[in-house]
Amino acid sequence: MSFLKQPSKVIPLVFILLLVLYPIIGSDTRYEQSVLIVCLLYAIMASGWNIISGLAGYVSLGHSVYLYIGMYTGAILGKAWGIDPMYLMPVAGVMAGAVALVIGLIVLRTKSHSFVIMTIAVLLLVMLVAANWKSLTGGTDGFIVKQPPWNKDDPTTPYYYILLVLLLLTVALVAFVMRSRLGAGLVAIRNDEGKAASIGINTTLYKVTAYTLSAIPFGFAGAVYAQYLGFVTPSLTVAILMSVFIVLSALVGGRGTLWGPVLGGFLVTIANEGSTLLAGEFSARLLIMGVILILVVMFMPAGLLPTIQGAWKKRRTKAAAVAFIDQASIAQSHDASIAGIIARPGETTDATLPVLEVKGIVKRFGGVTAVNNVDMTVERGSITGLIGPNGSGKTTLFNCMTGTFRPDAGAVLLDGTDITRARVWTRAHDGLGRTFQITRLFKSMTVLDNLVAPLEKTSVSQMVAGRYAGDEVERAREVLDFMGLAQFEKQEAAALSFGQQKLVELAQVLMLRPSIILLDEPASGINPTLIEKLASVIRRLNEAGTTVLIVEHNIPLVLSLCDRVHVLSGGEILVSGTPDEIRNDPQVIEAYLGPDHLLEANDA
Amino acid sequence: MEILQVLAFGILMGGVYALLASGVTLIFGVLDVVNVAQGSFLVFSALFTWQVWDLFGLEPLLLVPVMGLVMGLLGWLIYRGLVIRVAPQGPGMTVLLMFGVAIAMEGVLNIVFGNKFKSVTPPYFTQSLQVGELVLPYPQLISGLLAIVVLGGIYAYLKFSWAGRALRASAQNKDGAALIGISATKSSSLAFGIGAMTAGVGGVLLAIMYPVYPATQYDWIARLLGIIVLGGMGSVPGAIVASMVLGISEAFASAYVPQWSSVFFYGVILVMLLFRPHGLLGEKTREDVAA
Repeated sequence: MSFLKQPSKVIPLVFILLLVLYPIIGSDTRYEQSVLIVCLLYAIMASGWNIISGLAGYVSLGHSVYLYIGMYTGAILGKAWGIDPMYLMPVAGVMAGAVALVIGLIVLRTKSHSFVIMTIAVLLLVMLVAANWKSLTGGTDGFIVKQPPWNKDDPTTPYYYILLVLLLLTVALVAFVMRSRLGAGLVAIRNDEGKAASIGINTTLYKVTAYTLSAIPFGFAGAVYAQYLGFVTPSLTVAILMSVFIVLSALVGGRGTLWGPVLGGFLVTIANEGSTLLAGEFSARLLIMGVILILVVMFMPAGLLPTIQGAWKKRRTKAAAVAFIDQASIAQSHDASIAGIIARPGETTDATLPVLEVKGIVKRFGGVTAVNNVDMTVERGSITGLIGPNGSGKTTLFNCMTGTFRPDAGAVLLDGTDITRARVWTRAHDGLGRTFQITRLFKSMTVLDNLVAPLEKTSVSQMVAGRYAGDEVERAREVLDFMGLAQFEKQEAAALSFGQQKLVELAQVLMLRPSIILLDEPASGINPTLIEKLASVIRRLNEAGTTVLIVEHNIPLVLSLCDRVHVLSGGEILVSGTPDEIRNDPQVIEAYLGPDHLLEANDA
Repeated sequence: MEILQVLAFGILMGGVYALLASGVTLIFGVLDVVNVAQGSFLVFSALFTWQVWDLFGLEPLLLVPVMGLVMGLLGWLIYRGLVIRVAPQGPGMTVLLMFGVAIAMEGVLNIVFGNKFKSVTPPYFTQSLQVGELVLPYPQLISGLLAIVVLGGIYAYLKFSWAGRALRASAQNKDGAALIGISATKSSSLAFGIGAMTAGVGGVLLAIMYPVYPATQYDWIARLLGIIVLGGMGSVPGAIVASMVLGISEAFASAYVPQWSSVFFYGVILVMLLFRPHGLLGEKTREDVAA
């Protein structure tokens, strides 16, 4: 009976069983059942909210709008078609999803701060429209919904069961999303959105999908809730407070977890009802709920479930020893056939074509021209270096190639295709991989999870596929093995040293099967031994057919590693050539290396 | 002539919006905290003004400096007591914290003042200034002008005083400012204090213009947040421009399509953001170094 030893499965099952049995065995008061109905409603809403705000980290403070959309859809269409609104649940769900899709396309263009505010603005807009469009919604007088078809003796039990089924469906939806690549991508977005895009995650598509999915359960529930209430009125105050309580529910239970929002929905509703009873008036209820919100944010921001799980895990793993990490073994030559794992399949690109080419790139910041008409090529199969003093425009040029900046003029070509205006994830799909000067791994994920996160393409089948479906895990292990990182597989990325993180980030990029890897100062901030290992990894990747472009200040490294070096100065290419030519070029010595460089070379 | 009349209304209302929104955007610029409690600060100040006026019949405008100071102090306390502890958890959590403050405060106001409209009606409440054919009701005129004066004062303070310079330095680069001896805590407390002060002043002005009750805070939160998003988060000039744009467009909407004037307000924001997702004067932040 190993199943019984897993509290994370047993407890929810017991909980569901109790809920199913409650109307049969519970005390027969209508009040208690009405409270439970509101509990179920909040549990559904908090779970739906969890998809966009818990997983992707985009906190929505206006999600009750989708309940209202569901309520109005059910009420208005139900009257027009002469149907009970609750039978229109699917229509209301689709309607809420459709509205969320349109609104998501607008509000998800903004980053997290503005997003929070825009969600409130959207809520207000919809409520104001509802209040003013009297002919459709009945305005502030409200919209009367017809009574349910069943017998009058026990009018609420059917609603109870409908909402319970909806809750289970919503939890199933959230579980499905969490296990899919979509869910993994959303968590990556929550960790670091820019990084997520750089490893091929179509962040816009993912966010809009999550936002749309999160609204659908609200629509379903709305149609039922409208008939349960018997009327719909647009109240701004009620709508905002409902949104806040949805957030509070997820927060109390634990956002980003499967059952946390469900637990929170029940707790918050009961606290809300309790404070109404206790305080007797509407006014004190607000004070109590406000104080609860403040206390939760201040003292239990992770939520109940993660806190309990953390304590449970700690107790269980107390005895487990931390594996000793042998730095010397990192990046030792493991003779894996790396070429087979990282080669881009089925590409018949002209071998004489440069992998990456920039033509006439200009980038200005206000009055400063950071990059002025730069032409540069990275030949196929080469290790190319890009050096230059601080402020010479290296990083700006780099950012134009990776898509962080859009150049004011000029073009960037990858395998002969113009990618100047391509989105960051499209570049990743097309074979451009990059690392960051300060590593940007997903710190709360394990090394293995970091490696299976990159996506080689965007497709629906991939979004719905399981997180570890396909051969990703196997490939990730082989890449880790090649890099000598195999023993770190289960470590959290944050637990690794900075240098180790740099290697993991390179391994992560390899999972994209890049035709070119752009390395942003790979040697900065890591020790000389590790630099040597890094150099040997780069050489062996290059032997396996990968083209590499390095932006770096460590001149000895660049000159020893590269076939060709471009020197940037004052936003223009000063000189390009082989390492030997660069080493002895008077202009380079003047502008960058300094005369001491010659002295050192002579000493040696 | 009618157009000029509507325009004048719009500019005066825009001035009041500008004062309040600057407070929110200043706090955001320095602390990265979206102060959704600004609406409840505002209503608190307005209801307090009503109470004093109701009890003593005192001229409400005399309360402008008093309420500015009281709310400034309250803002400072809320920052030191609550915000500073939650700030490391990021902007999502501070928004929720401030929502908690807003709701708790509304609860307190409900208990003290009840959930009823309160109006402050000094003698000039129903009088107007006639300039040519232009009719300017005194409450709107006084509020608009006073708001602009206070805003000018804050601007001058930030521009010319040492503390103001320190605050602006913190807004641009917290760590850098700390390295040259500017305490981020002090700058942040100051910013929060000034932000709350604008709500204190604004509350008095609000009281002589409109009837107020605790739940009106939601209208104000929504309006102010809309303004700072439109202006560009953290940009004070942006907030002022957006306030004027919205004050004027709202005045025109309520003159010609009164039923839809509030809808119009949010519609304008959504449409504008379609074209400028970072707001009118907001800047796209550079990501590669921010990481």
